[in-house]
Amino acid sequence: MEKVQLETLTGVIDKKMNRQLKQYIDICARCAICKDACHQYVGTGDFKYLPARRAELIRQIYKRYFDKAGRFMPALYEAREPDDNLLDELYDSTYACTGCRRCMYYCPFSIDTAWILSVAKAILIAAGRGNEMLGQLADAAIFKGDNAAMFEGVMLSGFDDISEEVRAITGDPEHRVHVNKEGADVLYVALAGAHSIRPAAVIFEEAGENWTISMFEAANYGFFYGDTEKARLITKRYIDEAKRLGVKEIVVPECGHAYRVAEFFYEAWSKEPMPFKVTHILEKVDDYIKSGRITVDKGLIEGKVTYHDPCQLGRNGGKFEQPRDIVKAVTDNFVDLTPNRAEQWCCGGGGGIVAMEEFKDVRLKSGAKKVEQLKASGASVLACPCENCRLQIEELNEVHELGMEIWQVIDLVVAAMPLPGNQKGAEATE
Amino acid sequence: METYLWITSVWGVYLGIAVFVLGMGLRIYQWATTPKSPVRLGMFPKPATKSGRFFKMLKDTLIAPHSAKIEPKMWIFAMIFHVAALAAFVGHLRILGEYPILPELLGGEHAMNTFAAYAGSIAGTLMLVGVIFWIVRRTFGPYKNLSVPEDYLLLFLLFGVIIMGDHLRFVYGGFIHADTYQEWFRSLLAFKPMFPEKLLSGNVGWSLGTHMLFTDLFLIYFPFSKLVHTIGSFAANYVRSE
Ligand code: HEM
Ligand code: SF4
Ligand code: SF4
Repeated sequence: MEKVQLETLTGVIDKKMNRQLKQYIDICARCAICKDACHQYVGTGDFKYLPARRAELIRQIYKRYFDKAGRFMPALYEAREPDDNLLDELYDSTYACTGCRRCMYYCPFSIDTAWILSVAKAILIAAGRGNEMLGQLADAAIFKGDNAAMFEGVMLSGFDDISEEVRAITGDPEHRVHVNKEGADVLYVALAGAHSIRPAAVIFEEAGENWTISMFEAANYGFFYGDTEKARLITKRYIDEAKRLGVKEIVVPECGHAYRVAEFFYEAWSKEPMPFKVTHILEKVDDYIKSGRITVDKGLIEGKVTYHDPCQLGRNGGKFEQPRDIVKAVTDNFVDLTPNRAEQWCCGGGGGIVAMEEFKDVRLKSGAKKVEQLKASGASVLACPCENCRLQIEELNEVHELGMEIWQVIDLVVAAMPLPGNQKGAEATE
Repeated sequence: METYLWITSVWGVYLGIAVFVLGMGLRIYQWATTPKSPVRLGMFPKPATKSGRFFKMLKDTLIAPHSAKIEPKMWIFAMIFHVAALAAFVGHLRILGEYPILPELLGGEHAMNTFAAYAGSIAGTLMLVGVIFWIVRRTFGPYKNLSVPEDYLLLFLLFGVIIMGDHLRFVYGGFIHADTYQEWFRSLLAFKPMFPEKLLSGNVGWSLGTHMLFTDLFLIYFPFSKLVHTIGSFAANYVRSE
């Protein structure tokens, strides 16, 4: 490997190194207890997807260049330079990882393999091997931030259409989607697409919330790509809007990584304290239901309902109960998946993998456990508050002919609200 | 044999302890001086209070309940090994000096030696079982693929330490007791190394020397291996709940 290139790659490790990474690298016992925690290893049986193996590649480079014992006796640790073979395998095992951290949950030392792989992504990007698709999506989002005016016309007319639909559902001529409303209490950072805005608008308007949305969506492909600067810029778009509008609270939509980014990562990237309270939309909805600000009827939802904890919202975000309480408020026929909550199986669709065609095969195979769980539950409706999870599970639903309905939780809520224009079922995710 | 004993059981011990202490100190210093991760890496559920998180860390480290759930077989053997190793370590403290109270409770020195013989035999056998399980486990499938030479080296050294320890226990345990080893080990601590006559006569010296040879190498390699998990596991498990 050329010297310049090598120095770039080791420089990345040097820059990214911190106490936790170093400890993870130093202490892993290679006991492989993590192997059956990973849905990708379980689904494919492919060694390169064994969590500790993914981290081992970073360890090999680290030992070779940073660790005295490793430089002295490289063979003992299989320390080696980041050649094409290593980088090829690293690319596969890193970009395939959904960042679910189920391996961390079961590891006796709680080693965060996904965190180690954030270094792997930085190395791959420095080597010119970052995933192209994710990189392009991230750049497009940044471009939109810099040229918002270009997109405004189209988006505003889209919001008008949604306002129309909201009025049709609630029957209240005053109801609408508030855009860039100064002095709002809540900035709802939606996903791109009416499906994420319409039901939220119905709920906010019915609850009498002082809310607004802005031009910028919550999804963050810079995070999946593994470039913290890009990821920061993408998040900063809505943080700046929130500051300008003077809101008190940012509400993130039914999207797993958006919550984690806002609540856990942005402060580290921007090196400033998050100036707003970050709330997940389902915390809001749960609160509206419990405090009587919106009314839901049991009995409008047919069939047995189950719930999937998106990894970034559950194990990694701590929101286990609010979504369940919501689902239990709209139906008496609820059944949990087994295992659930912190032990919930990853569906296989996280980490941006649904956007990368090349991983389709491993992605579908890695859904085996989820399919098993869904079948065992006997449910016909699945509530799932994460866009990537839904995309994956909808595909699993088709491939395995499960015949289930896959719903956003807020769609389920709207369908259970006694509203004049509520055609139940029409709101199921498109 | 006396030369062998001087190399392995005097100078080797000094070297082993020195490298171990300095090496572990260096490793801890490196950890302490590397800046903390800017991102909070905790996962849920996590206790709300600091003391709650501390006790969860202790539980996660010492009992590893999550690992037990996903790989019970591995957990049982790992528990057997680690608990037996802890017992053996406590047992070895007897070469520093006799325990307080325990001999009186058991009814004298003879009873104490008998108790030590049973306890040591059990701990030594269990450790051997644990290590053999690990060695076998690393010879096939994903466990083999994941292993690097370091893993086998450690297990080899460990196997040597245990086999020779068991040898001392089962072959010579009947007539050489802690008091003899005590004389030798305390002379090391006083920096006036000597060997009692009992260790120089017969073949016991070869066994002790080999037990110590493996131990010295194990101690020397320890700080540069994954065995730094003895300390690091507490820190990493604390981060889980942060
Ligand atoms: C207190 C928390 C500790 C935990 C959770 C822990 C856990 C583990 C685990 C999971 C392994 C992997 C076994 C394998 O597949 O190789 C292991 C190996 C080992 N541990 Fe620990 N350990 C702890 C403390 C200690 C201590 C205090 C010692 C002191 C001697 C120790 C010595 C060893 C040894 C010698 C091995 C075998 C290494 C090998 O397999 O090559 N551990 N430990
Ligand atoms: S369970 Fe933890 S210590 Fe064991 S191999 Fe996996 S990452 Fe390493
Ligand atoms: S974070 Fe999830 S996908 Fe990635 S290695 Fe761990 S268990 Fe597998």
